[in-house]
Parts: sequence; structure tokens; C-alpha cells
Amino acid sequence: MSNTKHIHKGLLERLLDLLLIALIVYMTLKGGTSGACAACKYQRRRCAADCPLAPYFPAEQPKLFQNVHRLFGVRSIVKILEKLDETQKPEAMKSIIFQSYVRDRSPVHGCLGVTQQLQYMIWFAEEELKAVNSQLQLYRSQPQNGQNQNQNHNHNQMIHELGSDHYKQQEDVTSQQLDLGMGLNVNNNQSNVVTPFFSSLLPVSETQQPQMSYTYSCSEVNNNGYSPPAYNTDSGKEILTNNNNVWGDQNRFLYNNNNGGGYSNQNESCHEMKSNGVMAIQSQLVNLQMVSNHQRVEEEEADHEYDELHQFLDIIDDRQSFGDSKEA
Amino acid sequence: MSNYTNSPCAACKFLRRKCTSDCVFAPYFPPEEPTKFANVHRIFGASNVSKILHEVAPHQREDAVNSLAYEAEARLKDPVYGCVGAISVLQRQVLRLQRELEETNADLMRYASCLGSETTSAYGGRRG
Repeated sequence: MSNTKHIHKGLLERLLDLLLIALIVYMTLKGGTSGACAACKYQRRRCAADCPLAPYFPAEQPKLFQNVHRLFGVRSIVKILEKLDETQKPEAMKSIIFQSYVRDRSPVHGCLGVTQQLQYMIWFAEEELKAVNSQLQLYRSQPQNGQNQNQNHNHNQMIHELGSDHYKQQEDVTSQQLDLGMGLNVNNNQSNVVTPFFSSLLPVSETQQPQMSYTYSCSEVNNNGYSPPAYNTDSGKEILTNNNNVWGDQNRFLYNNNNGGGYSNQNESCHEMKSNGVMAIQSQLVNLQMVSNHQRVEEEEADHEYDELHQFLDIIDDRQSFGDSKEA
Repeated sequence: MSNYTNSPCAACKFLRRKCTSDCVFAPYFPPEEPTKFANVHRIFGASNVSKILHEVAPHQREDAVNSLAYEAEARLKDPVYGCVGAISVLQRQVLRLQRELEETNADLMRYASCLGSETTSAYGGRRG
């Protein structure tokens, strides 16, 4: 008799446990407080099963949504998503999350600052390529009988011109999107090789899964590198060419003149970067001379990938809240 | 400077409200550029822009507004990628140029080392 009672009690407990587990699962599936997406958690509302933002803002990464909310706002995001196809929505959200992240890191310049820095890097790389090609042409045209003195003189002269004001005033720039104003410290890494901002960017398929958005979380920036989605859009190119026609003209005017303390400083550092470009080329040639195989160069680049990322993020981190400074 | 005698700024015109002397938008959204504020408002919203402006130093506000205007216009032109598409294009360009620069430098080093070895042998011959 007592055994039967004991068995019944054990069964009852197990049944209660199962019911409890079923209830928890049910609440999670229905979007209870423990299963709400970051967007609904932030807004303190129930996360419906058909919440449009839930797929893009996991609960474990609240900062993602906070950035987006601060820049765009929920209504704006929802309005943007409503106009898009299902296939376009993940890509759009990725770009929005990225844009918000950059704005968080750089409240003043945002993505425009990134664009201009990349344009500067392109200009710098093109100038360097021109100089190296000229030198190469010289070598190819000279007879190979040891006439090094003339070549060295021309080489040094070219290097000097690259860093001088003469180049700064020359109109012979190949990039039509030239927009100087954002100084970039290209001499940070030890090998003095100009590496791009998002050096961890490799050819990324445009059919990324939405899970790629996880790499945008601030906590993962230093671990996994941070790269924008790789887009090869005609609209991207159009935006670049029109940048200088729309707000770009004003921007160029602003960025190339001493219109404010911030930009005047950056213009000066930009000039400094060009002078340092002389050192970059010379040291780069020396470094390449010492490198006997391509594998060693690749290893150095891989090591410096995240260093470059940290340095760039430090450069663009112009978070100087006026509110905070006022309180101070 | 009072806005009572001047025309209201583009923001206050759009929002149909009185443009006061301490309007935060007035210095950056002149009435001659109504599209600028319209775009920014459509994408980011006036309250978000106002918060951003209050968070940055006064001398940086104009740059902040210009960057927001640029991003808003890019997003309107391309609702999927916005200005990030342009960034992606530029990054590819940078990578391509870097690769080209590496190859060209490698060629240059090959030539330089060839000439260097010829010069060394020439000098060695003279000394010998």
C-alpha cells in the first residue's frame, strides 16, 4: 500500500515537472519575456510570433538594436522593410545595422567619414602605383649595364615629389571621387604597408545568411574583425559619383577649408600623411627587398589585420558627447 | 540672431511650426534647401537628428548634419544598401589597388636586384 502511494507520488512529481517544462517551452515559443527579441525587449513589449524585427535583432545582442534605434528609429526601419521583398530584407537590415554601428563609433562623420577615408586611401594607393610604375618603366627602358646612379637620382626625385606640396596642388589625380579632408595614419603598422580599413574583408558572397549580422556585435569586433557586407551595386557606384554633386560639393568645400576646428586639424594631418607617404614608399621598397617569398608578406598582413582594425576604430572613434563634456 | 524677421528654417517649414531663435535645426537647414531636411526627416526622423545634434559639440554639428544628409539621400536612392554599397565598392577598389601595388613592387624589386647584382660584379671585377 505504501509502495503504491510512493509510486503515485513519484509519478505525480514527474508529471508536474513535465507540465512545467511544457509551460516554459510554450511561453518561449509564444514570445514570453525570456524569448523576446532585442527590439521588443528594448521597447518593453511582447514579442509577437510575427515580429518583423525579431530575425535581425537577437536578444543576446541588445547593442545592435540600440544603435539602430538611436539612428533610425523603429518606425523608420519598419517603413523601409515594408517596401522591400523578402529576399532583400536581410541585406537591407545588415546595411542598416552596419550604418548604425559606424554612427555609434563616429557620431559626427558616420559612414561619410568612412567613405572619405577610403577615397583618400585609393588616391594614395594610386599615386604610389604611379610612382612605382614610373620607376619600373625607367628600369625597363634603361640598358642593363649598371647605370644605377641616374636611376637612383630619378627614383629619389620622384619619391620626393610625391611627398611635396607640388603633388598636393597637382590636378593630375586619377580618382574622380577625390575628397581630401580625412587624414589617415598610414604608418601605424610596422611594415608600413597601406592596408584597407576593413582588411578582413574577403570576397563575400552576396547571399549571406542573416547570421552574418552576428559579426557586427560590438563585443565581437576585436575578436572576429568587422567587415561590412560586400556589395557590388550599381547604386553604390552611382552614389559615389553623385556624392560630389549633391552634398559632396558642400562637403568638399567644408572639408577643404578651415571651417571648423575639427576639419582644419584634419586637413593638416592629411598633408602630414602625404609627407609620410615618402617614408612609406621608401621603406616599403626596402621591406620588399628583404622579403624573399610571398608567404612571409601574407603572414605579416594577416597579423596586422586586426591591428589595423583597432587603429582605425580608434581613429574614427570621435565619441565626444557634447552633453558629457558640458557636465564635466 | 533672430528668426522672427527671417524666414523659418527648412525644418520648421517642413514641420509647420514656429522657428524660434534657439531652433537647433536653423543653422544647418537653411530654407533654400528644403530637400535636405525632408530626406533626413524621412529616414532618421527629426527627433533622432535633434538628439544627435545635442550629443556632438557645436563646431561639429554642421559636419554631422552633412553626413546625415548624405546617408539619408543614399538610403533613399538605394533602400537596400544605402551608403554601405558605396563603401563596399571603395573597399574592393582599395584591395585591388593594393594587390596591384604589391605585384608592381615585386617586379621593381626583381629589376633592382638584377641591376644590383650586376653592379656588384662590375665593382668586384674592378677591384680584382
